[in-house]
Amino acid sequence: MSSGKIVQIIGAVLDVEFPSDAIPKIYDALIVEGEGISTTLEVQQQLGDGVVRTIALGSTDGLKRGLSVRNTGEAISIPVGTKTLGRIMNVLGEPIDEVGPIDTDERMVIHRDAPKFTELSPSTELLETGVKVIDLIIPFAKGGKVGLFGGAGVGKTVNMMELINNIATQHSGLSVFAGVGERTREGNDFYYEMQESGVVNVEDFEKSKVSMVYGQMNEPPGNRLRVALTGLTLAEKFRDEGRDVLLFIDNIYRFTLAGVECSALLGRMPSAVGYQPTLAEEMGKLQERITSTKTGSITSIQAVYVPADDLTDPSPATTFAHLDSTVVLSRQIAELGLYPAIDPLDSTSRQLDPLVVGQEHYDIARGVQNTLQRYKELRDIIAILGMDELSEEDKLVVARARKIQRFLTQPYFVAKVFTGQDGEFVPLKETLRGFKGIIEGQYDDLPEQAFYNVGTIDQAIDKAKTL
Amino acid sequence: MAGAKEIRSKIASVKNTQKITKAMEMVAASKMRKAQDRMHAARPYAEKIRNVISHLANANPEYKHPYLVEREEVKRIGLIVVSTDRGLCGGLNANMFRMLIRQMKTWEEEGKEIDLCVIGTKAAGFFGSIGANIIGQATHIGDQPNLEELIGTIMIMLNAFKEGEIDELHLVSNQFVNSMTQTPLMSQLIPGKADADDDYGHHWDYLYEPDAEAVLDQLLTRYIEAQVYSGVVENIASEMAARMVAMKSASDNAGKLIDELQLIYNKARQAAITQELSEIVAGAAAV
Repeated sequence: MSSGKIVQIIGAVLDVEFPSDAIPKIYDALIVEGEGISTTLEVQQQLGDGVVRTIALGSTDGLKRGLSVRNTGEAISIPVGTKTLGRIMNVLGEPIDEVGPIDTDERMVIHRDAPKFTELSPSTELLETGVKVIDLIIPFAKGGKVGLFGGAGVGKTVNMMELINNIATQHSGLSVFAGVGERTREGNDFYYEMQESGVVNVEDFEKSKVSMVYGQMNEPPGNRLRVALTGLTLAEKFRDEGRDVLLFIDNIYRFTLAGVECSALLGRMPSAVGYQPTLAEEMGKLQERITSTKTGSITSIQAVYVPADDLTDPSPATTFAHLDSTVVLSRQIAELGLYPAIDPLDSTSRQLDPLVVGQEHYDIARGVQNTLQRYKELRDIIAILGMDELSEEDKLVVARARKIQRFLTQPYFVAKVFTGQDGEFVPLKETLRGFKGIIEGQYDDLPEQAFYNVGTIDQAIDKAKTL
Repeated sequence: MAGAKEIRSKIASVKNTQKITKAMEMVAASKMRKAQDRMHAARPYAEKIRNVISHLANANPEYKHPYLVEREEVKRIGLIVVSTDRGLCGGLNANMFRMLIRQMKTWEEEGKEIDLCVIGTKAAGFFGSIGANIIGQATHIGDQPNLEELIGTIMIMLNAFKEGEIDELHLVSNQFVNSMTQTPLMSQLIPGKADADDDYGHHWDYLYEPDAEAVLDQLLTRYIEAQVYSGVVENIASEMAARMVAMKSASDNAGKLIDELQLIYNKARQAAITQELSEIVAGAAAV
């Protein structure tokens, strides 16, 4: 293939000059060839006169002008299929778990089109998570897209790990975990936890049920920008083989942030709040591919960091539109010590519909939300005038709302190190029975503390006896 | 500047609430003085007549008026409950109702039934909602209670007692201790009892003209009226004091809330300005 020369390096963005009859195409992968250097570049822009502007997928340390660059003639492709199970790869599909190469000829290009409209298949089958507040208010659909929104330190990763624990380890299908710009330690922990639970089988990788792709926060922006696509491509391959796949992405916001880091260097004018002007397009290209088709399904769970707890920030706001269920983690609830800090009023799900979940479930969920909403409205009155001024009915609403708030908490399996308490998987039927009882007033005589950090309502009743 | 407008309108609404609570605090303070005067005016008569009845109950005369005779078996209890007509007076009514509910529960466990006469809309509403047996009510008494408005409820109870429908009559109202403290108080009206803390050391009886029955009948009716009236007057003084304190703390709470909201608003405003500036600067630098 043709080769060119580096003419400019600004951070992660490099300009490369090619002979004018052999200019690489957009998204072509280029490889810098120097002594002990093999950095991959991806073409982003054609600047004219044979010069292309590229993003480095890897460190640019030690690069210099004049180095020779080889055009591979195609976009980045990664190994896919069952050989990738139990393995960790980076954005380029190279194994980084130090147990040898990934032995497969199946490769796929990471840039692809989203499935056509006619290929999509909507699903209404529910996915039970064992987390009370999620099953009740924000039911997940099989093949649906779920976003976990939250500011710094409210528990996005813990919630995601719990969902992985409850769904992926019990799930018969395959999973893909994409670590995008999050802590390397968390990726490491995840790997060893999966080994312990047998989801990753180091003896026989083919028996593993999860593939991992990491581009964590120590890596250059180019890696973090493309690693989500790498993970997604793995999931797409499994889906197109007719499997049901779970795709976990932690964290979509880092993908946007990597886009910001590259955008200005690529010479684009910053847009609202300093984001790249192409934010919606970039997000759309990624999100539209995460979808279920007639051949197989991808159920995706994505963590979305919310900068400064502001949900109207362009990045989370752009992500919102693509999701079926949004789980909003709230700082106010976390400050009250109520975990999981999922906001039952801000969180929504398309599945919370009497035609999908059934009339009874719908009524209970709305009843819970009404009670909490009423309590929220009364809070100002209580703050100014005090509890005594409330009418008897309102006092009852407040008491029940506080019980509901506490009953929405539950111990997590993955949070055992923090709480010292074993986790609880609460079946949907038990969740509904408990909340129904509370809003109907069956448990008005129990102290509200009894509902805190328990699984089923029977545990609350038992706990009330010990108080 | 998302949210700034909401915060501003919330501050405005809390400020309005604060204005109202401040006004109510001052109105209650001035009304309290008058109500206290009325209470002090009613007290000597009520106390004196209670004294007299106490002596009578302690005495051992030839004629015993039925209002002074304890019935052997108490099956039904009559209660006159004095509450306020309006809310926003702290825990005044709630505390009294709580005490009363507890008492009513023990009575019910002993198999005694309860009839209620309620004075004030708050008691009427509360006991109506819990399904108590209300046989009479007087509401909208105003700040200057008139005995005529109370006589109806009193007569219902007295007639019920005469006809043997109830065997005891109690009065429940708030006692004005001082402007910071009001305590719910339950006192037995019929059968009249001797004051337990008074030690007379001996018994005496009065001389009646023309005869004991006529005099005592009148006297005991007056006594009960006086007790209820003083209970109502005292309750009004308590209401004003409680409202004054409650509204003062409400105004303080509103002030605190405004301070907090103002801080949030200032921060949001500052953040929006900084963001716009940095966007302009970054934009200019990129061009």
